Amino acid sequence: MSLIARIEEDLCLAHGDCEAVAPEAFRVDDVARVVGETADDRLREAARACPAGAIVLFDADTGEEVDA
Amino acid sequence: MELLIVGGGLAAQRCIEVLRAAGDDRPVTVVCDESVRPYDRPPLSKEGLLGPVDTSFRPEGWHAHHGVELRLGVAASALDAARRIVTLADGERLRYDALLIATGARARALPGVPRAQVLRDRFDGERLREALLAGGPLAVVGAGLIGLEAAAAARALGVEVSVIEAAPRPLAGILGPRAGAWITALHRAEGVVLRTGVTVERDRGDALELADGTRVPAANVLAGIGVAPAAAWLAGSGLDPSGVAVDDAGRTGLPGVYAAGDVSGSGHWEAAARGGATVAGALLGRADRAPAPPSFWSDQHGVRLQCVGDPRGSAEHIAHGDLASRCFELDHHLDGRTTAVLLAGRPPSALRTARARLHTIETITRRAA
Repeated sequence: MSLIARIEEDLCLAHGDCEAVAPEAFRVDDVARVVGETADDRLREAARACPAGAIVLFDADTGEEVDA
Repeated sequence: MELLIVGGGLAAQRCIEVLRAAGDDRPVTVVCDESVRPYDRPPLSKEGLLGPVDTSFRPEGWHAHHGVELRLGVAASALDAARRIVTLADGERLRYDALLIATGARARALPGVPRAQVLRDRFDGERLREALLAGGPLAVVGAGLIGLEAAAAARALGVEVSVIEAAPRPLAGILGPRAGAWITALHRAEGVVLRTGVTVERDRGDALELADGTRVPAANVLAGIGVAPAAAWLAGSGLDPSGVAVDDAGRTGLPGVYAAGDVSGSGHWEAAARGGATVAGALLGRADRAPAPPSFWSDQHGVRLQCVGDPRGSAEHIAHGDLASRCFELDHHLDGRTTAVLLAGRPPSALRTARARLHTIETITRRAA
């Protein structure tokens, strides 16, 4: 499976955990932004680390949301 | 339009981040009594006790590069709002166009136990970590978030830990009896001795004597009994030196003076983050965003707890999983509404659906009103 990450900006409080886990994929200023690609397991780890639950993961093939 | 920020914590940093992200390049000066550049506090009671972590918001040089002057290691001592001047402890006077008061809070000291440590800043964290590594049992007074997180971290270091709480259950100020019972069971399963409904009578040097006569071993004592706004420096300014009241946009009522974070009694990390951003929005002339429901999170014994909404005074109903496990959702109902959801060990998508449960209710209420 190949995953795509999206930030729910209304939920993001810029905790910074996603960038700490996967700086190649996320950058946090006033909110977090997706800035690159990385391995699926790192996206899952970043999504699980987010205290605000603001990272949504999708299956790139089906477009369906998947759990971290 | 000079912005002066007194205090260098989360609310200060978030205000700066939002201004700069919006392309606003007004000169900003940050005055902070701590001698290190702004850093994040939540790890202090979590992974920060397990090993050294750098929790600085930004790398060395970031602030200077973004037109932010850091005046570290010096406190503010007075505010003259009529002249728009803040006086520093070293006598220097700084003029401002806009002022953000973000001096945070101080941890309350434990009466009768002067050797008790607190856990509020980076220095406190290093000191507690050294004490834990030196060995001997830890007694934590207060079963709030800080005390419980520190207790969990100390257990992870192999330290014998007791937690003493005057209320009948942990986190009694925010959570109900079912959540309290679950947290009690979690800590006991991880080897924490949790004593509730009892207070500390006196310090016996290597132990704390409780009001019921029992003794709790205590080579080290951590007090986690709450905080008070660090606003004493505002005495005589026209603002309340026991805590600064603000409106929805972070305004204090004095011209050009805003406040955010714990100094305004906001309580948790997420409120301070939002408060700093709200003040930035007000400075930018942006319309207020609808206030988000309060929320907090905590990590204890490898379990992530998340809470959205205000659970106080509500009836607790299990909505997913069960309280015998480390994975559940506990809905909170009051007057036929879902006021809060507490989640343990749940995936990110569950937090979003929990928020939606609150949102739906809010919408219904607004329509009915």
